[in-house]
Amino acid sequence: MIDKLKLYRGQSFDPFFNLAVEEYLLQNTDEGCCTLYLWQNQNTVVIGRNQNAFKECRTTLLEDEGGKLARRLSGGGAVFHDLGNLNFTFLVPTADYDLDKQLKVIELACEKLGVKVERSGRNDILADGRKFSGNAFYKNGPRAYHHGTLMVDVDREKMGRYLNPSKAKLSSKGVDSVRSRVVNLKELASDTTIELLSQKLAEAFGQVYGLPYEEIGLTEQDKAAMQPLFEKYSSWEWRLGREIPFTFECGKRFPWGSVQIQLMVDGGTVKEAEVYSDSMDWSIAEKLKQAFEGKSFSEAALCLAAEKACTDIASDICRMIQEQEI
Amino acid sequence: MNYPNELSYSKSHEWVKMDGDTAIIGISDFAQDALGDVVFVNLPAEGDDVTAAEAFGDVESVKAVSDLICPVTGKVAAINEELLDSPELLNSDPYGAWIIKVEGITDKEELLDAAAYEEFCAQEG
Repeated sequence: MIDKLKLYRGQSFDPFFNLAVEEYLLQNTDEGCCTLYLWQNQNTVVIGRNQNAFKECRTTLLEDEGGKLARRLSGGGAVFHDLGNLNFTFLVPTADYDLDKQLKVIELACEKLGVKVERSGRNDILADGRKFSGNAFYKNGPRAYHHGTLMVDVDREKMGRYLNPSKAKLSSKGVDSVRSRVVNLKELASDTTIELLSQKLAEAFGQVYGLPYEEIGLTEQDKAAMQPLFEKYSSWEWRLGREIPFTFECGKRFPWGSVQIQLMVDGGTVKEAEVYSDSMDWSIAEKLKQAFEGKSFSEAALCLAAEKACTDIASDICRMIQEQEI
Repeated sequence: MNYPNELSYSKSHEWVKMDGDTAIIGISDFAQDALGDVVFVNLPAEGDDVTAAEAFGDVESVKAVSDLICPVTGKVAAINEELLDSPELLNSDPYGAWIIKVEGITDKEELLDAAAYEEFCAQEG
């Protein structure tokens, strides 16, 4: 039975820090307590626990433009966050997990803004038939969380650009994203702001549970204890190096001959490369194969490898890889 | 709901079958039913150390990502690679679709027999 409510408003826009806070709050969830955590990420794509980053997101473009790619603990698909989006997380003991009640908080807050909403399937909340909130869930045994996005005024142009999957043919295990028609709450209730929505969520939280909530903060001690989690979420291994194997393929015809490249990638590293070419220079294929194997799967690393292996055709190879928008 | 007699069960809904010194581990019928359709299974690697009462992998279903809790402490002797391509086997055949085999067992959680586990599940609803 929930007999205590806590509210924590995030102080940072850094996705790695915020995800660390979320997991830390989960680890410290007390019996009978439900914590609502409200937070925002600046210019970030967050992918699901078991997704292939390269398949879901143009990682090179995102990072070139100062964005961050993050991976969360929960399942589901890729989402784009900027400061026009508000995230919520309900953290509870598994025994007190009540999805219906938690969703009621969201629904009531939206109603207070004058927006009528409906649930769709298990994971989406719609307004005007379009999605403005995607939800995902994580259980670690004794504790669980339910979190989601709330689109208030998200830059949909950026959302479309970063979440557009790579043009490359990637065959992969893992969980694929589902594209949805989306809507910003501001389009439906024009005076909606992040601050106003946060306020309505806090009110609705207290009303739905019928309890007062206590606003909490993080101490320096908490922040020190969170450091290993922050390091995990920022690490290349967690974000890109997950061992979800996939195959990348591309090919093109050039004046000097055609080339086909196939890379078997696991843990973010090219484990095996196959290169086929009908070029007069028979050694190209073998040189490229050896150059790619063992390299990180990134545009920069592959271009550099091609440059070292076959200087005279490297610019063609490099452009072909760039065109795949990995 | 099916609770085979020859298996032992943890309160986090994994089943254990001892084969000599090796523990074969999977998830129960109750667990797969609560999870809903499984879409992905994250497995440890052969040779990894696993610890009783700690996560050794996770399953993603249409409802949530849930950690798999190891009932024993030891070393992973084998993983069921079939689950990487066919995670839905956990739903269709939970007692046939084992997840990992653990050897060199030095510790284990308190486990329930089939009757006690069935009662435990009834209470969880």
